[in-house]
Order: sequence, then C-alpha cells, then structure tokens
Amino acid sequence: MDKINVGKHISGKFNEELEAVRNRVLSMGGLVEQQLQDALSAVEAFDEPLADKVLSSDHKVNALEVSIDEACVQIIAKRQPAASDLRLVIAILKTIADLERIGDEAERIAKVAKESFNNDQQQFLVSLENLGQQVLGMLHRVLDAFARMDLEAAYEVHQQDEQADRQYEALTRQLMTYMMEDPRAIPKIMNVLWSARSLERIGDRCQNIAEYIIFFVKGKDVRHVSAESIERTVKGKQGS
Amino acid sequence: MISVNPTNSSAEPLDLENLTQEQTTLEIKNLDLFYGEAQALHDISMKIPKNRVTAFIGPSGCGKSTLLRCINRMNDLVEICRIDGEILLHDKNIYERDVDVAALRRRIGMVFQRPNPFPKSIYENVVYGLRLQGVKDRRVLDEAVERSLKGAALWDEVKDRLNENAFSLSGGQQQRLVIARSIAIEPEVLLLDEPTSALDPISTLTIEELITELKEKYTVVIVTHNMQQAARVSDQTAFMYMGKLIEYADTNALFTTPAQKQTEDYITGRYG
Amino acid sequence: MKNWFASGKPWIWMTAGSVSISLIAVLGLVMMIAWKGLSFFWPAQLHEMQVANTDGEVSTLIGEIYDSENIPLSRLSEAGITLEGYHEDRVTRLLMKIGNREYVPLDFTWIIKPLIKSDKTPDGLAKVERSKDGNFYGYVEDVLENGQSVVNDGNLRAVLAKRIARVQALNEQAHELQTDEIGSINYELNELRLTQRRLEMNNELTDAALAELEHKREQLHQRYQELEDKLFELRDRAKRDAVVIRDFRNKEVTLPMYEVIAITFPNDMNVLEKAGHFLAQIWGFVSEPPREANTEGGVFPAIFGTVFMVLLMSIIVTPFGVVAAIYLHEYAGKNAITKMIRIAVINLAGVPSIVYGVFGLGFFVYMVGGSIDQVFYPEALPSPTFGTPGVLWSAITLAILTLPVVIVSTEEGLSRIPSSVREGSLALGATKAETIWRIIVPMASPAIMTGLILAVARAAGEVAPLMLVGVVKSAPTLPVDGNFPYLHLDRKFMHLGFHIYDVGFQSPNVEAARPLVYATSFLLVTVIVGLNLTAIGVRNHLREKFRTLDQ
Repeated sequence: MDKINVGKHISGKFNEELEAVRNRVLSMGGLVEQQLQDALSAVEAFDEPLADKVLSSDHKVNALEVSIDEACVQIIAKRQPAASDLRLVIAILKTIADLERIGDEAERIAKVAKESFNNDQQQFLVSLENLGQQVLGMLHRVLDAFARMDLEAAYEVHQQDEQADRQYEALTRQLMTYMMEDPRAIPKIMNVLWSARSLERIGDRCQNIAEYIIFFVKGKDVRHVSAESIERTVKGKQGS
Repeated sequence: MISVNPTNSSAEPLDLENLTQEQTTLEIKNLDLFYGEAQALHDISMKIPKNRVTAFIGPSGCGKSTLLRCINRMNDLVEICRIDGEILLHDKNIYERDVDVAALRRRIGMVFQRPNPFPKSIYENVVYGLRLQGVKDRRVLDEAVERSLKGAALWDEVKDRLNENAFSLSGGQQQRLVIARSIAIEPEVLLLDEPTSALDPISTLTIEELITELKEKYTVVIVTHNMQQAARVSDQTAFMYMGKLIEYADTNALFTTPAQKQTEDYITGRYG
Repeated sequence: MKNWFASGKPWIWMTAGSVSISLIAVLGLVMMIAWKGLSFFWPAQLHEMQVANTDGEVSTLIGEIYDSENIPLSRLSEAGITLEGYHEDRVTRLLMKIGNREYVPLDFTWIIKPLIKSDKTPDGLAKVERSKDGNFYGYVEDVLENGQSVVNDGNLRAVLAKRIARVQALNEQAHELQTDEIGSINYELNELRLTQRRLEMNNELTDAALAELEHKREQLHQRYQELEDKLFELRDRAKRDAVVIRDFRNKEVTLPMYEVIAITFPNDMNVLEKAGHFLAQIWGFVSEPPREANTEGGVFPAIFGTVFMVLLMSIIVTPFGVVAAIYLHEYAGKNAITKMIRIAVINLAGVPSIVYGVFGLGFFVYMVGGSIDQVFYPEALPSPTFGTPGVLWSAITLAILTLPVVIVSTEEGLSRIPSSVREGSLALGATKAETIWRIIVPMASPAIMTGLILAVARAAGEVAPLMLVGVVKSAPTLPVDGNFPYLHLDRKFMHLGFHIYDVGFQSPNVEAARPLVYATSFLLVTVIVGLNLTAIGVRNHLREKFRTLDQ
C-alpha cells in the first residue's frame, strides 16, 4: 500500500475521477510552491513586480481549492469510498485546506516585502532567507511525498519541522536584540517578524500534510500524539 | 480518530478474540462444510457477541449465506450437505444428536432474502409460530401480535387491517411483517439473510433502522451484499472469501483500515 | 413476398388459424347438438294429410313431421313401390309420427311426398301425451265423468283443462303415496325380514323376539293395508274422468284421463305460447323420470346419478391423490424407485377405461363387495348387497381411473411453491409435517382443484367402465332417499352417458329416439360444463387467496 493504487478499481470512471482530483492537488501544490518561491525571491532581490505577481496569483489557488473541494464532495456522494479510497479523499480535502493557507502566508510575505522596499529595512529582510529556504525545501519535499504517497519522505518532513522551529526561534531572538538596540526600528522589525512567523506557520502546515500522508498510508491518525508513537506507527508493520 | 463513525454504532468496539462467556451468544469452532465432494466452508472460527449486530459480507458464493444457514441448521434440508466442527449456542453444540431442531429454530429465528409471508391474514402470519406451540388463548395472541408488530415498526401501518391478506402489504412492509413473525416467538438470535436485497431504498432504510433497534433485545446476524449497509447497521463485520473467513473485526475499523489486502480490495471495489 | 415471410406474419396467421379451427369445431359441435336437441322440445305443427297408397286408395293421417329425406327413386323401385306420372330421379319422403299405437302397426311411418293428396294444419287438432302407449292425435270431442258428458256447449277446453288438472293432482297424490309411504313400509318390511334372518343365523331368535317381529310386521301390514286402500280410492277417483277423441279414422275413442299427462293444441298456439310450452317441455325433460323404455319422459334420474357419482368420485379421489402426491413429492427419496413409481402413475392414465371397468368388476364388485356381503350382510345372501355393481363401485373405479390426473397436477402444484415459504415456516420452528399441512397444502389447493377439474371432466364422460360396475338402463330408486341411512351406495344408478347409448342403440325405434339422443347429449355437455365451472370458480377463489410470491 506504499504506492497509491487508484488505477485498480473495477469502475474505470472512479479511477479517472480519483486520478483527476489527485493531479489537481499536485498542480495546486506546484502553484503554491511557486508562490512561496517567488515571494522569497522578491524579498531577496527587492523585486517589486515579482511581489505583485505573487499577490495576483492567489486567486488561482483559491479557485483550485474550491474546485477540488467540489470534486471530493461529488466522489463521496456518488462513490461512497471506503478504506484507502476514503482516506485518500479525506487526506486530499485536508491537504488542500493547508495548501491554501500556505498560499495565503506566501501572499503575506510578499506584501511585507513590498511595503519594506521603500525604507531601510532590507537588512532585516535578508535574515529571513535562511528560514525561507528551509521551509521552501520542506514544502517541496512534502509535495513530492504526497505525489508518491511516500511514507518515509513524509516522516522526514515531519521531523524537519522541528529544525525550522529552532531556526524561527533563533531569528526571533536576533530580531528582539535589534529591537532592544534600536526601539525606533521596532515597527519595521515587527513586519519582518510577521514574515518569519508566516514561514514558521508554513512549516507547521507542511508537517500537517505529512501527517495526512501518514494517515492515508497507515490508517492511523498521528496528530497530537507523541513523537515515539508516530515513529512506532511509521515503522510498524500494520498495513501491507 | 478520523473515521466514518456511523451514528448508530455507539457501542464500544469489543475484543472479538477474547470475549467473555456472558458476552458471547454464539461461538463457531473450526467449522467445515461440504456439499458432496466440494468444500464450501473452510475452518471457520468466530465468536458472535450478544446484543450486537454482526454482518457477514463477501462476494457471491463466498459462503456467507451458507454459514448463516448453519447457525439454525437450515442446511439440514440439503441432503448432500455434511458439516464438521461445532457451533455453540451458550456452550451447547447445536449439532449434537439430542438437539431438537424445531426447538432450536424457535430460539434462532431467520428472515430471508425475499419477503415470504404466508398466504394468510397479517394477524395469522404473526401468530403462526405461537399457534405451532399450541397457544390458543386469544388474549395472549392479541398481545403477541401488538408487541411483535410494534417491535417490527409496523403496528401503526397495519393495526386497522390485521385481518387483511398479508400480500396486500408492500414489499418493505411484508419484510417487516416477516421480522414481526420471527420475533413473535421471542428468539435469542435473529438471522437476516440479505433482508433488503428485494426492497427499494426507502424500505431498506426502514429495515436498517429497525435492525439497530432489534439489537437491544436480540443478537442479530445479517448477511448482506450491500457493504454500505453492513457499515451502517453492524457493530462488527466478517469478510468472507472463497469459503474462508478472511477478516473479522469491528465495523468501524474494517471499513476504514482493513487489515487484509483482500478485504481492502473488496470494500473499495478493486479487483485483486 | 420474402419480406412478408420475414415479418413473421405467416406464423401469426398460422397460429390464429389453428385457434379458429378449434374454436369452430367446438362451437359447431355444441351448437349442433344444442339445435338438434332443443328443437325437439319446440311444439311441432300437427298435420292432417290425405295420402294415397300405391294401390291408389286414399287414407287420412294425423301426426307431426319428424324428419325428411331426399332419396333416389331407384330405392323405392327396389322396395317394390312405383310412382306413376313421376319422372324425377330423386324423391322426398317424410317421417311422420302418427301415434295412436293401439290402432296402427307402427307409430312412425314414412310418407312419399308425391303421394300426398292434401296437407293441412287445422286448428283444434290435439296432441295427447299419455303415460303409456305414447301419443295420441285427434280432435277432442267430449269429456266424460263416469260415462256422462260434462260438457255444456262451448266450454269444452275449459272443462278439459280443469279435469286434467284434477286427475293430475290425484295421480300425483297416488304417486307420492306409492313411492314415499308405501315404499318406506316395503323397505321396513324388508329390514324386518333381514333382522329375523340375522337372528336366526346367530341362533338368537327367541320366541319373544319372534313375537316382537311378528307384532311389528303385523302393524306394518296393517298400515300397508290402509295406505293401499287410500291408494285405490285415489285411483278410482282418477278413473272417473275420460276424454273422447276423434282419431284419424274418424272414429271416436274414449281415453281414460288417468293415463293422460297433457293435452295440447299446437296448431292453435302463437309463438309466445309455444315458447312457454317449449320451456315447460325442457323442464319436464330434466325433472321427470323416463317412461316407455326411456323413449319418453325425462332424464332426471340420469342427471342425478351422473352428478352424484361424480361428486362421490371427487370425494374419494381428492384426499387419496393429494396424500399420494405429498408422499411422492415431499417424503420419497429422489431416486430411481420414486421415478419409476411416478412413471407408472402417469402411465396409469393411458390404460383404456374399459380395462378399469373389468378390474372394478373383478376386484371391487366380486372380491371386495363379496367379502363385505359375507361379513356384514350375511342375512341378505344369496341376494348380494355390495357384491353387485353399484354406485359406490362405479365411483371408486372412476376414482382409480382419474387418480393419476390428480396426483400429477398436485405434484405440479407442490413443486411450484417457492422454497422460501417452506423455509419461512421451518425457521419458525415448524416441523415438516406442520409445514405441509398448514402452509404447503393450502397453497397447492388451486393445483389440486385443477387436478379435480380434469378428473371430473374425464369421469363425467366415461361410460364404458360404468356399464360393468353399476350403471343400469333404468333404476327403480335414486341412491339418495328418505329411508335410513338416506345414502344407499349399494344401489345401481342411471347415467346420462349410458342413457345416450341406451336410447340411441337399444330403443325399439331408433329413428324416433334420435332427437332424445341429441337432447341428452346436450344435457350431458351442460352438466359437465356446469361441474367444471363450479370447480373453476372454486379454484379461482383459492388462487386469489393463495396468490404466490410472484411480484
């Protein structure tokens, strides 16, 4: 069950529907990944048009979310999926919600960047880069894991979130030092802090998606449980 | 846990392997069944818990109906049928020599695929089993009719025409009449052999609703082709394939995370 | 043309055609016997003819025309009759019923049409039906009482009607007295004789018992004497009246009225009167016993015998066949022996019915009946009680004849009952026997009725075996009467089928009896159809009640 075998239903139409909705999730993932990458590039290169592009592409993501939602509802109504099919549909529904939020966070980062171009806070923005690359990598890998329903890869992403959190904490401490040094810079630094916060949130959402993948593959809900229990689930022999 | 949590299944999942004495109504032990030379059931062992709905699912010819008919010895009617193993009803093997089959069937009632009312009035249909036992007291019979028809959720629809022919009822009503007829003799176990396969969806829902009520008083075993129905009404589900019991588990677990690939393939509609 | 064949229309035409042919055949049959049989009851015109014989002498004939025939002239020549001045090849001749048996050698005569000098149907010609010697034709001239005319001018018909009614009432009383009361005294006397004989055989005939019997017998004789006196008195009163008829010889003949059944004037009747007369005749035919060696009167005993025998047969064959079918279908193992038995049962239906008659005579009448007589009725021997053909043996013989039909159709019905119903009953804790009697047999009852319908249809028309085991030309009493035990299954009986045979082949004048043959045939068909319709009605009712689960 490591591989997603939607292609073996007796009903060919059901195969097509599941395949189509999965492809749309992947393209939505691609779109969101592109958004995040663009937002980070815009921050790095002070590229205002790129930031505008990020802002304007959000509606595409929203539209995709709605249409995937609808497709899932129809599948549930018409096919009454059970077992792995049901888990796939549920995982998709939850994944797209998270993807949409990730898109929103990318938009926020781009907005902050755009406001900051006019004044002298570029120096702080640059410090976001590390965290940004880390989170972007997570997003990329989790989407990859989703495409292949790769349990190992998802578990890896799940564990990487801790790293991202530590980076975020380091960045926060750094920014707080700046604020203490120069209280007049606090409003500017707050903007940067918001962006960092957004990146951290994106990391959390990548972790959520990884959890959905584990849920799909193993049939066990791994939210709000201890790390050891998650490890047991992933390494466990349950499921074939 | 993310699951399709059916509203009716408030019952806690049981540890089906280790049921206690008083939790168990029926225990099937190493049951083999042969039709002549052909073996139809292979080494079935399972415990059926009390006051629960147990569903048998599986593709056609998997032996689920055969297994059900073993439980009240309906297979005795088939001459070439031979059975090895035991079925214990409260620790008493029903296949022992000294068992009175008619008495056994009074304790284990059965409802069939097609509604099969007798060509008599509604009233006479319900009291048929009691009359067989020699009950003549009109008051006892009247009470039994009302209680059974209420139990089968049919009383309000037929109370004014108890003397009409049972065939004047609709298919769904007939099936509920048959259920009423079965519970009139107060069995412990109620076997339902695809009870809704000849009915329309609305009648089906009525019967399903009824089944969840019936389990308060009876141990219910249902065979069904309709997986959603098994998921909706049963507390635990047994999946059978080619005469073997593949998986027997809590219904919620079986329909979300089946342990066996064959089960998974069957309930998701894959060819495997 | 090819298209026409391809369209399948020829097939439709062919099937429809064969249905039409069957329909025409059946309707034609029924209509022919109905027409020929029923027209017999329509009052025919009475003719008065002047007919010359071959010597040229002219005589008068009065009567009704029964039949006409077109024959070649040569047949007349062969018979030695020559017609002068007649030159055609064929000649028509008429069959005429001239009655008046006392005064003519034959009451039917052939008349060659060209020899008829004059033919008229005058008013006032009367047809007198008598209880013996057949009809009398002529003009009513006078009504006498004790030899004195009681007719004042003009009221002849009225007086006649009144006197006939009076005499008939007396005759009726006398008849009732004779059959009911005197009949039952005879029956009791016979019983007394048998009782005495029985006591004698058992050596229990004490003097006291003998005296008792004698006393009873004396009483009965006394009552018999009284009744006989009454009877003779009634007869004497009936004998007072007479009617004077002027017959075809123009002579006046006095006929005693107690022999007269009816006097009608067909030539005076209008259509309505004729229709009324027609219905009365039909009613007489179905409700009266036969007279004159079955050539006159009605066929009531035959109708009664047929229906009674068929009902008795149904009562015997149904439980027997049903039980046999239940065993074959429900209990017998499905093996070669069962199959052979089934084949044997079906083949029984193919055995010629006369063989059953022989079997019935040899086995039931002589063996079973003879044994019954020895055990239960030794006092009546050597005259047999059950050891002689009778209605019971007829019914049993026909029951065996029709048993295969009932078994086969019952089995058919049993196998059509859905197994789900059986299982439903078993699942409620019923045993197999309870299931069969409470559910299966009621549900199979329409099929059982179908079997019975076929059995009745076959049995009612069967004559050959009955001739050996119980049917007679003329039975003095019905198998049911007012004497204890009311049902007399040992008695012989009359049967419509045999009646047809008897009237058609055994009567003194076959030609004259032909309309009766048709009428009786039509009646037989009606009785069978009636029995079948009753059974079909019952079956349809049952079918509705036990509609199976085909939804």
